Amino acid sequence: MANRLLEISDLEVAYGDVGALWGVSLHVDPGTIVALVGANGAGKTTLLRTVSGLLRPKAGDIRVSGRSLVGKAPQEIARMGIAHVPEGRGLFRQMTVLENLELGAFQPRARPRTKQLLEKAYTLFPRLKERAQQKAGSLSGGEQQMLAIARATMSEPSLLILDEPSLGLSPLVVQQMFSLIQTLHGQGVTILLVEQNIHQALKVADYAFVLQTGSLAMQGTGAELIADPEIQKAYMGVLE
Amino acid sequence: MFNLPPPEILLQLSLNGALGGAMYGVAAVGLSLIFGTMRLIFLAQGAMIILAAYFVRALFYGLGIDPFLSLLIVVPVGLVVGWLIYQGLFRKAAAEEDRNVSLLIAVGLMFLVQNLMTVIWGGNTAGVVTSYTATGIELLGVRTSFTRSMGFLIALAGTGLVMLFLRKTIVGKAVRAASEDMDAATLMGISPHRVNAIAFAIGISLAGAAGVAVATTFPFNPFAGFIFSLKALVALALGGIGNVTGALAGGILLGLIEAYVQFFISGGWTNAIAYGVFLLVLMFKPEGLFSRPYKKA
Amino acid sequence: MSRALQWIAVLVVAALALLPFVPGAVDAYYFSFLFFVFLYAIMAQSWNLVAGYGGQISLGSHAFFGLGAYTTAILWSGNYLWGSLYDAHPGMYYFDPVTMLFGGLVAAVAAVFIGLPLLSKLHGDYFALGTLGFGEIVKVLFVNGGDFTGGAFGIVAPASAFDTLRPHYWVALGLMVATALAIRALMRSRYGLALIAVRDDEMAASANGIDTLKVKVAAFAGSAFIAGVAGSLYTYYIFHVGPDSVFDLDWMLLPLMMTVVGGTGTLLGPILGALVMYAVFDLARIVVPDYHPVISGLTIILAMLFLPKGMMRLGVMQRRKSA
Ligand SMILES: Nc1ncnc2c1ncn2[C@@H]1O[C@H](COP(=O)(O)OP(=O)(O)O)[C@@H](O)[C@H]1O
Ligand SMILES: [Mg+2]
Repeated sequence: MANRLLEISDLEVAYGDVGALWGVSLHVDPGTIVALVGANGAGKTTLLRTVSGLLRPKAGDIRVSGRSLVGKAPQEIARMGIAHVPEGRGLFRQMTVLENLELGAFQPRARPRTKQLLEKAYTLFPRLKERAQQKAGSLSGGEQQMLAIARATMSEPSLLILDEPSLGLSPLVVQQMFSLIQTLHGQGVTILLVEQNIHQALKVADYAFVLQTGSLAMQGTGAELIADPEIQKAYMGVLE
Repeated sequence: MFNLPPPEILLQLSLNGALGGAMYGVAAVGLSLIFGTMRLIFLAQGAMIILAAYFVRALFYGLGIDPFLSLLIVVPVGLVVGWLIYQGLFRKAAAEEDRNVSLLIAVGLMFLVQNLMTVIWGGNTAGVVTSYTATGIELLGVRTSFTRSMGFLIALAGTGLVMLFLRKTIVGKAVRAASEDMDAATLMGISPHRVNAIAFAIGISLAGAAGVAVATTFPFNPFAGFIFSLKALVALALGGIGNVTGALAGGILLGLIEAYVQFFISGGWTNAIAYGVFLLVLMFKPEGLFSRPYKKA
Repeated sequence: MSRALQWIAVLVVAALALLPFVPGAVDAYYFSFLFFVFLYAIMAQSWNLVAGYGGQISLGSHAFFGLGAYTTAILWSGNYLWGSLYDAHPGMYYFDPVTMLFGGLVAAVAAVFIGLPLLSKLHGDYFALGTLGFGEIVKVLFVNGGDFTGGAFGIVAPASAFDTLRPHYWVALGLMVATALAIRALMRSRYGLALIAVRDDEMAASANGIDTLKVKVAAFAGSAFIAGVAGSLYTYYIFHVGPDSVFDLDWMLLPLMMTVVGGTGTLLGPILGALVMYAVFDLARIVVPDYHPVISGLTIILAMLFLPKGMMRLGVMQRRKSA
């Protein structure tokens, strides 16, 4: 499976003695959008934080293009081409929009091309150009989320990880968010998307995994899962 | 009520307070940087300042190097020493993220440095007396000491350079980012050890600069450092933890408070009032006195 | 603690209690050495309660120690408690439980006063800084306290004949054991569980209906009480209570260091740490008198570099991952 961009096998993660993930395996192929869905507390954030090195797994393996990243520090993993937009966005709120974007291109791979990357980001997110000198913390929720995503794209990642990008946004902004995700996908960015907004997530996803209290419950193409009565009942509030 | 003293006296007080306070300010800028990335209260900062003062003194009496000229030696040496201190003493503890351990290493370093100085130079008060030590200059129509004014300039220049570094260079921005949110910074590919080491290098080189100012202005002894650390912490809190210009301003404000309390109340109460202000600020304005109120989303 | 360990502890305590009966022991060097180990172990337990079990790093232990010491000296020298009874028995302030209790209570009340605003407003390092500032303020207050506190000189207790260290030794040993037992019982109670819960995850604890402020303030006050009693004990040893001696930062730094070296958040860690660290300090003082603080500093650094979790190794140190 050399062509797998991300391959997670039998991943186990615990907080102290309390387990959070028990033997989860999933994969992301290049050029696809993969959705990871599940109820609150299922372990989605835990999984993403383990991929980007913020948490250490107890067991299992995580490979990016065949290379294991278990035991590597987050900054090393970032330099391997993984950009993680964490839950809560992780913006540097006291710093300007421009500074946040520049830091997105901090790693050596991207830094020399900061200028071009910035231009590219501004064409995709014109609002951010207007607000370049404003502090990130002063932006609206939607703008902050855009900034977080724009910052992540500044490193031209091979895998973009988004943890609940639509959280706390108005329905209109959520729509913009999802169309943005599709635009990025159109540009060839591979995306691993965690969402509470399951219907939307499954609609844009090529493939999806359902996490249930720390274990994988189901997987399939986005279309298959949307049609699945179990999913409809459990997560989309559809009554039988 | 008491009569307000004539304006010359007030100006004199303010000037002397501000000039002296700037020294707390530089120490606080260093603490602020180190606290920013490592969340470590580097209690040994004052001891490092006194160590630098002894070093300046040795350069002067041993090699005849002018104390202000020795900035050119002390500051780069401080950068290297700070880097080494981080790599040798704090790197492992920082990786473990156990803050008790870092705090205690700082305390151990403070003990070590204080007592090494005692062993090498003895416990008595020492000073540096140059041809210009007693020289006075006229500033704002008030006479003040030349060395204090130089100390003030050193403080301003040091803080200014640090500000430029933090605001204008990408590595400086990375240091600020790491101070704000280390996890998010690592997701940008920023190495915590690198920013910590940079913070330490700059912090100790600022201690070196402060050492020059101290050596030329005050008599000092190996144990004078701790109170300096405390004063720097107060300055830090007044200015807002993590706010570099605020730290300098906090130091100057503390110098003013001390000068006024000493004049209007009594020297015995300066510390209590300084720490009282410190507690009040920590409790009611933890973001410091000089930051604009910032809405939290 | 395993059963075997409990028996060992009982035997060690019994042996220590009988030690003063060994001929010559009282005059031996190690006798006063042990007295100080007990004293520091009590102080280390005090710090461990609030910082190790409670997760709130306090840098104000010396203030509470000094408050206890001063309270004892003031009650004693002014004979505020026993009136004419004292004239008949001038020695009665020695280890008088009521006086010692007051020493602890004054410290505890001060801790509640300062702890309520500090702990409700400040978290983590800000709390540590606040307690450090508090310690310095208390010191200045006592320096400026006029006749009541004896100013910069302090107070000399009316020393009546005291020709043996035996009572000091026993009282210190007894207090050390009592402190350890009390903390052991406390940490097994519902309160102890709540304290651990608050340390490990304040939000979760609060969501589970724990009044986190109350729990933290109580731990802070309990810690201050223990330190105050230790300060009281010290007054009986030193007689001259002055701001520079009993508010010395060493009364905060050394116990902190001992606890961390022994093992934070463990019952025996503070005692073990006090024994080992005080032995190192004292040995250095005797063997290399000129360099001993250098050696002490080095020891702390080396201990932290190579034994960061303390000798007990069970150290449930708090790991903070920024959220
Ligand atoms: N920092 C933490 N410490 C302890 N337990 C945690 C922590 N973060 C999350 N958990 C627990 O791990 C489980 C998974 O949480 P999380 O990964 O955040 O779920 P999700 O993102 O799917 O909502 C939950 O039971 C949660 O309580
Ligand atoms: Mg989540």
